[in-house]
Amino acid sequence: MTQFSVPIESTALPNGLRVVVSPDRIAPVTTVGVYYNIGFRLEPHGRSGFAHLFEHMMFQGSANAGKMMHIKLINSSGGVLNGSTHHDVTNYYETVPSNALERVLWLEADRMRALKVDDENLRNQRDVVKEEVRVNVLNQPYGGFPWLDMPPVAFRHWPNAHNFYGDFADLDSASLADVQAFFKTYYTPSNAILLMLGDLTPEEGFRLAERYFADIPSGPAPRLADSSELPQTEERRGTVEEKFGTLPAMAIGYRAPRRLTPEWYAAGILDQALHSGRAGRVYRRLVLEQQIAVEADGGMNSLGGDLFDYNGPTLIATRILHKPEYSAEQTLAAFDAVVSEMKEKRIAEEELEQIKVKFRSDYFSMLEGGHGGVPRYGLMHLLACFSLFDNEPGLVNSVLGGFMEVSPEDVESVARQLFVRHNRSIVIRQPAKKGAAL
Amino acid sequence: MSSAPRHEVHSSVPGLAAERPVIWPPRTHANLANGLEIVLVESHTIPKFNGDLFFRSGNAAAGVPGLADLTAGVVRTGTAARSSRQIEEDLRRLGADLASSAGTDTSVISFGGLSEFSEELLRLVAELAQQASFPEGEFERERRQMFEALRIDRTTPGFLAGEGIRKILFAGHPYAQVAPTEAQVEGYRREQLAEYYASHYRPGNALLVMAGDFEPRAMLKQVEKIFSAWSGGAAESSPDPALGEIRGRRVRLVNLPGSVQTQILVGNRAITRKHPDWKKLTLANSIYGGAFNSRLVMNIREQKGYTYSPRSGVHPLRQHGYFSIHAAVRNDVAAATLTEIFYELDRMRSVAVGDDELADARNYLSGVFSLGLATQDGLASQIGTVALENLPDDYLETYREKIRDIQAAEVLDAAQKYFDSANAQIVVVGDRAQIESQVSLFGPVEVQDAQGNRI
Repeated sequence: MTQFSVPIESTALPNGLRVVVSPDRIAPVTTVGVYYNIGFRLEPHGRSGFAHLFEHMMFQGSANAGKMMHIKLINSSGGVLNGSTHHDVTNYYETVPSNALERVLWLEADRMRALKVDDENLRNQRDVVKEEVRVNVLNQPYGGFPWLDMPPVAFRHWPNAHNFYGDFADLDSASLADVQAFFKTYYTPSNAILLMLGDLTPEEGFRLAERYFADIPSGPAPRLADSSELPQTEERRGTVEEKFGTLPAMAIGYRAPRRLTPEWYAAGILDQALHSGRAGRVYRRLVLEQQIAVEADGGMNSLGGDLFDYNGPTLIATRILHKPEYSAEQTLAAFDAVVSEMKEKRIAEEELEQIKVKFRSDYFSMLEGGHGGVPRYGLMHLLACFSLFDNEPGLVNSVLGGFMEVSPEDVESVARQLFVRHNRSIVIRQPAKKGAAL
Repeated sequence: MSSAPRHEVHSSVPGLAAERPVIWPPRTHANLANGLEIVLVESHTIPKFNGDLFFRSGNAAAGVPGLADLTAGVVRTGTAARSSRQIEEDLRRLGADLASSAGTDTSVISFGGLSEFSEELLRLVAELAQQASFPEGEFERERRQMFEALRIDRTTPGFLAGEGIRKILFAGHPYAQVAPTEAQVEGYRREQLAEYYASHYRPGNALLVMAGDFEPRAMLKQVEKIFSAWSGGAAESSPDPALGEIRGRRVRLVNLPGSVQTQILVGNRAITRKHPDWKKLTLANSIYGGAFNSRLVMNIREQKGYTYSPRSGVHPLRQHGYFSIHAAVRNDVAAATLTEIFYELDRMRSVAVGDDELADARNYLSGVFSLGLATQDGLASQIGTVALENLPDDYLETYREKIRDIQAAEVLDAAQKYFDSANAQIVVVGDRAQIESQVSLFGPVEVQDAQGNRI
């Protein structure tokens, strides 16, 4: 079996900022990321969508780089940049020709030190975010399905159950004072990590991190709200209207085990048995063989995340678009037969072996690239999450081993534990104009 | 530590360090006796490799819209030796991904997997390219899936806008057909797919591009061993009917009742990648709306907040090309957005770009061009473009330098030729009741439903 590991060097500055460097000399290209340990799960109560709106504000200007300067300086250095808000982290990242590394760090440090935005910026980005929600959710067939539809059905605790993209009324009532307070609370060096990957040496990375970030004042570590959920004791169901699309859809989510526990590794393999593309059991049975569904996919923490990037309650979720001649109950029965089989018939060694080969192959690809043409995005993302959640960036090189050790008995046992009715939630998305001419 | 005082370190933008050399790895080229063209390049980022087996025929060559697409879809569902299930499980066993699809001018089997299993994966790819068996049941299932996917596509604003602009810009040409009608999908027969496959999936019509963790000489031997028994000459080239002239600005409104946003797409016919103006047009596009830091994005997103992700782009096809601008905006600013789109086009056409903005755009294009070097995918995509479009061997090596030589007058010239605002075609997808009067300010309006029927 091919071994593969990435070099990782890490340190921390006195103000609490963690710094991780993973060098390679493949190309004269460097990717830089800054992650903050705050996402939409813990945004302020009554301010749904705020973490994401705030992410937009971080591009609106900082003490020495006014509005548009971040974008202009990165693009004109030959690089690309973006940011994204997740359940438990928010990231800002740039990929540039490596001669622009210092400039990127200067920009990231400037906005970590002092955000400089006004009401006009906030009004502007509130409008932009509303159009983002419209283009991705409100004006798209199956928009937000099921990543926005499932949480209010599956969870009872506001941090997990609210609208992560934001209700427009909440977006409208967000103020500049909220922006500055959020910045002050969560965007402190000790709640962040700086990552540098690609064409640089660890010494260079650490020296430049010190130069640009060391004198950013350290704030108190934020008190993170409790996002735990009580164990689920009954099946939960919800229905949402599909305004544009023509097919009925359904999502089924089972509460998943805690990260890095033995059950979690087993569930990762179980998830692959069900959802690994066209060979996975769900697609094979529902789409290829029984032909009840036309689309079926899913995964652990697949509602807006991946296997590794969460730090709270999540689901193993399946998303199905099915033919209108099958009812929701018929579709669910076919799905149930697939998951029941995981409990009742132990997975064959041969299938398990296939799944493990595919798992490690996918893992390597994720580290190498993984997101919109940004080299090492996946590696950056994992290093950040393993550092912020687990204080152990080296998990990037060791976590795969845990999945490779999972046995057929482990898979069967975790299937029995998870795949019970009272541990699941179901969302039906029903087209408004059933069978009508388009 | 630096000797500069802290406040200076923090207040002034650091300059760029000396550029580290951009070195494109050598490509290994070969042509097999059966006509298969091969390009290989090493990239040792991870112990994997990926590749594309291209056929130089796509939907435009099929006669019936979408037929090449469905053919590609069914190719992976069975061969003389393997069932659909066997193929999918073999792929998983090899740690591999595979996708088969067709675009306008090409069909492709794309694959990637662990280097340790490269021989077995290549054998499977070769089998799909030569011995696909088009099982009746698989064909029927894939056809139904295509039918359902199309019905959903025709409720998707971005899809409808893209379909609309191609119909207008390439009327009378195969490029006008982005997707079939429902009736056309129902009319496909299995034999048509098999026939298309037999006449286009041939080594004389094919190009194999691979990048990854392998030694090129050894990989070439392996490829020769696996692909040399394949036979079949070049495919007949597809027809290229003359295009009529497009005069005057016109608006097509695709009515999607209940839309809470208006999808705008504005387009002009443009050029292929081989055209001498290609790089100038690319640079002009990057200044206009092709980058985050572009005029259009600054205007309608960052100043006015009309939209989230507006962009312009140049789209090369084999025989023609087009330039287009898209923005999804709130309904009450459809007219205001079109005004800004045309204002910025006309500014590009009438006022030469300043030195700083030109330098920034040159740096942007030349910089992002080399980002692909860092991944196997990025590298495969760059060398694939060069080989597929028969660009010069030194295309990658000279691209950056050529971009950096482009002058303001050349950008102005490209804008005047291709940002033809007076004859630009406009497609808007949205709720007619909310936008028709707004868009009628920009030209005569024709209203259609999502199926393309005039209403």
